Amino acid sequence: MTRTRRFRLLSAVLILGLFASACSSRDDDDDTSTGGDGGGEGGGEESSIDTSNCVTDPTAEIEGDTIKLVSSYPQSGLTAAFAEIASGWQSYFDMVNQEGGVEIAGKSYQLEWETKDDEYNAAETVSNIQEMLGSEGDQAFATFSVVGTANNLAIRDDLNEECVPSLFAATGSPAWGNPDYPWLIGSTLSPYTLEGQVFADLLKDQAPDAKVAMLVQDDDFGKAYEDGFRQAIEGTDIEVVKVEKYATGASEVSAQITSLASSGANAFFDGATLLACPAALQSAAAANWQRDFTWVSSTCISKTLMGIAGADAADVYSISNIKDPQDPQWDDDEGMQLYRDTVGANFPDTDTENGIVAYGWTQAAVFVEALRNAEAPTRLAVMESVHNIDVGDDVGLLAPGAGVTTGPEDPYMGERLNLVQYGFEGPDARNHFNVVGDTYDFEGQTADLTPEDLVTG
Amino acid sequence: MADPTVPGTEPETVPGTDPDHLLEPPRPDVEVSEGVEAAAQAEDTSVHGVPEVPPMPRPVFIARVVIGAALAFAALYAPYYFQEDMNKVLAQALYLAVAAMGLNLLTGFNGQVSIGHGAFFGVGAFTTAILMVDHGWMFEPTILVSALLTGLFGLLVGFPALRVRGLYLALVTLGLAVAFPAVAKRFVHGSGGVALVRPPRSEFGSLIDGVDDDQWKYAVCLVAVVLLFWAARNLVQSRTGRAMVAVRDQEIAATTVGVNLAATKVWTFGLSAAYAGVAGSLSVMVEGFADATNPIIYFQRSIEFLVAMTIGGAATILGPLVGALLVVLLRRNTSDLIEGKEVLSPALFGAALIAIVYVLPDGVVGGVKRLLARLGRRETSQRAQVGAPNT
Repeated sequence: MTRTRRFRLLSAVLILGLFASACSSRDDDDDTSTGGDGGGEGGGEESSIDTSNCVTDPTAEIEGDTIKLVSSYPQSGLTAAFAEIASGWQSYFDMVNQEGGVEIAGKSYQLEWETKDDEYNAAETVSNIQEMLGSEGDQAFATFSVVGTANNLAIRDDLNEECVPSLFAATGSPAWGNPDYPWLIGSTLSPYTLEGQVFADLLKDQAPDAKVAMLVQDDDFGKAYEDGFRQAIEGTDIEVVKVEKYATGASEVSAQITSLASSGANAFFDGATLLACPAALQSAAAANWQRDFTWVSSTCISKTLMGIAGADAADVYSISNIKDPQDPQWDDDEGMQLYRDTVGANFPDTDTENGIVAYGWTQAAVFVEALRNAEAPTRLAVMESVHNIDVGDDVGLLAPGAGVTTGPEDPYMGERLNLVQYGFEGPDARNHFNVVGDTYDFEGQTADLTPEDLVTG
Repeated sequence: MADPTVPGTEPETVPGTDPDHLLEPPRPDVEVSEGVEAAAQAEDTSVHGVPEVPPMPRPVFIARVVIGAALAFAALYAPYYFQEDMNKVLAQALYLAVAAMGLNLLTGFNGQVSIGHGAFFGVGAFTTAILMVDHGWMFEPTILVSALLTGLFGLLVGFPALRVRGLYLALVTLGLAVAFPAVAKRFVHGSGGVALVRPPRSEFGSLIDGVDDDQWKYAVCLVAVVLLFWAARNLVQSRTGRAMVAVRDQEIAATTVGVNLAATKVWTFGLSAAYAGVAGSLSVMVEGFADATNPIIYFQRSIEFLVAMTIGGAATILGPLVGALLVVLLRRNTSDLIEGKEVLSPALFGAALIAIVYVLPDGVVGGVKRLLARLGRRETSQRAQVGAPNT
């Protein structure tokens, strides 16, 4: 009996002690539960961004002379193909730092960054960003180039609440135009619904009664393709005969392709990304699927992924607004040479012919332009500046005519784009995408061309 | 309730050949005993570390009080000593300890092997997350709902588990853990269209002024650990607990002395699942989400529970807690041990686990007990006293 009594006493002491110790305080900062009134009501004049609910003060100026960015993206395993984006943007930032940094309102800032691997898993992205930003969102200035639709959706509530800029999300989801989330902005990767639009236009022109089979990822990334394309073909004779989905991040899709191949479709929308994308093309070839048109996701046009598909990717269509570094016509281009030299010096192991590196480079270039145009070194001013970008095609490696424009009401970049087609000339050739036809200009139209629930849902 | 067919179909079990014994945790404290009562008695001894019958010598009693008070103080002071990131790690260890204790009740004390507790953990996590996100619940009450729901789920799984044992039971439960993410993906509509549900972070804020959020989370986990470990300890020492152990050691003998085999097994399964469910709820608070985006995540969790229980010491009360702390701290410290070679960290983690199991085959708590027993023996022989007989 004494044993039980002693134990009861111990637990009572434990619980009492817990409450008693709760009254003292740790040496660091004060409590966070009431920290909400630090928000910048004063900074709200004329701003397009509502800052009244910010947990942190977005009008606070950067302390010191560095701007710290954090990023989370797949860096290992089967999802590592996207890791190369970072060698592009890091090289550009390095170059800017060596030239003295970015000048905002008369003061120069060095760019600094920290990244973590999330293996394309949204839960990991949440932990990574929380860890790097700190629970108050004060360990870094902003996030930059976080990869993945679900991944960015998973972190946007926190970032929005903390009013931490979430910049150049490396995904083309139309959800980045949601006015409820003014602190998140996409990148020059064109909104996925525009891909559906361009493919629909191509089919209307060349095969008005096409039957389309779609392969999409089983999440909001895939939903954007499916719903976007369905809206684009409304009122035409084009028909979606079958849609197959694959689990987010999976790389094996042969079962889905077998099913699609037997659907009688003569057009294939390969909306897969990462390894699933080339795997789908290979499986389609293995299944001897006779079709007239194949579309691949614009997230899949890198040398890494197209190289895997090889001859099976011959003649596939997609869109792009970046100069393809594999295309010999840009060999003498000044921007391309600068890119090659800088990335080559910073990351000797990186293949500069990989379009995904050029994409990363271009994001950094556009962002640095926006930073320079910011009125003050504050989160709010930078966010307002990226909502007022107007740069020509001389920035980064933007393709001719593919300048980037954003506005307070139109956060979409990448609305000027080219239809491109993959020319396969042999396994060792510099296979690249060729521009087909004129540049599309959807400037300011993405919201109209997108089902509303994809933006706000 | 009694299910006579099950024990009836079992042939006489020869220790060592029965598949059960292949997966049974080592129990060095328990001597191979012929009778059920003897087994229960021996187990009792192993639970307390000191025998029940002779009164505790005064120095030992004082030492225990001092050590206990020191540990309690350390546990309470830790969140004030450490910074936020470490407090999160400790909270992770605490919820892992709850799940490992659940598994310990089932596997350690009742001899039913489960590699499926990750599924119960997942059900608990999603129960909490969905109640909070879709139904606007506060966090704390959802823990009770999780416990009830996973308990029921555990009972349901417990019934079929009556028919399979040992390796086969392990396989069945493994299926549970592997199937869970796919099922969750089907029925859960989280953000971004993936099976990830995130309650607003402010919902987990501290309810006491002056206590930071991370300290609060740690405290909630600590309270859960104290309550649930206390309950487990009392259960194991009770009649029911002795019945559980008896069922583990000698089913047939247990039935002959009147233990209701089926009821014991099924209820243990349910209770064990409820522990895992509570751990799942707590994980939502600590991690901030319920997640089934990774198809093998709950399988990994199951293994984690098993590892924590085994290296801590199966069929001991403190074992799961020690094991959970070791697992979490080892993982944290091996992950950045070699700069630039993070790929190696799982290998380091694995090597550390192998080393621990090799040196302490009966877990850390078991090893400490052996050490104490040896010290105790030496002392008694030196003083030529007729002291407490230590097994």
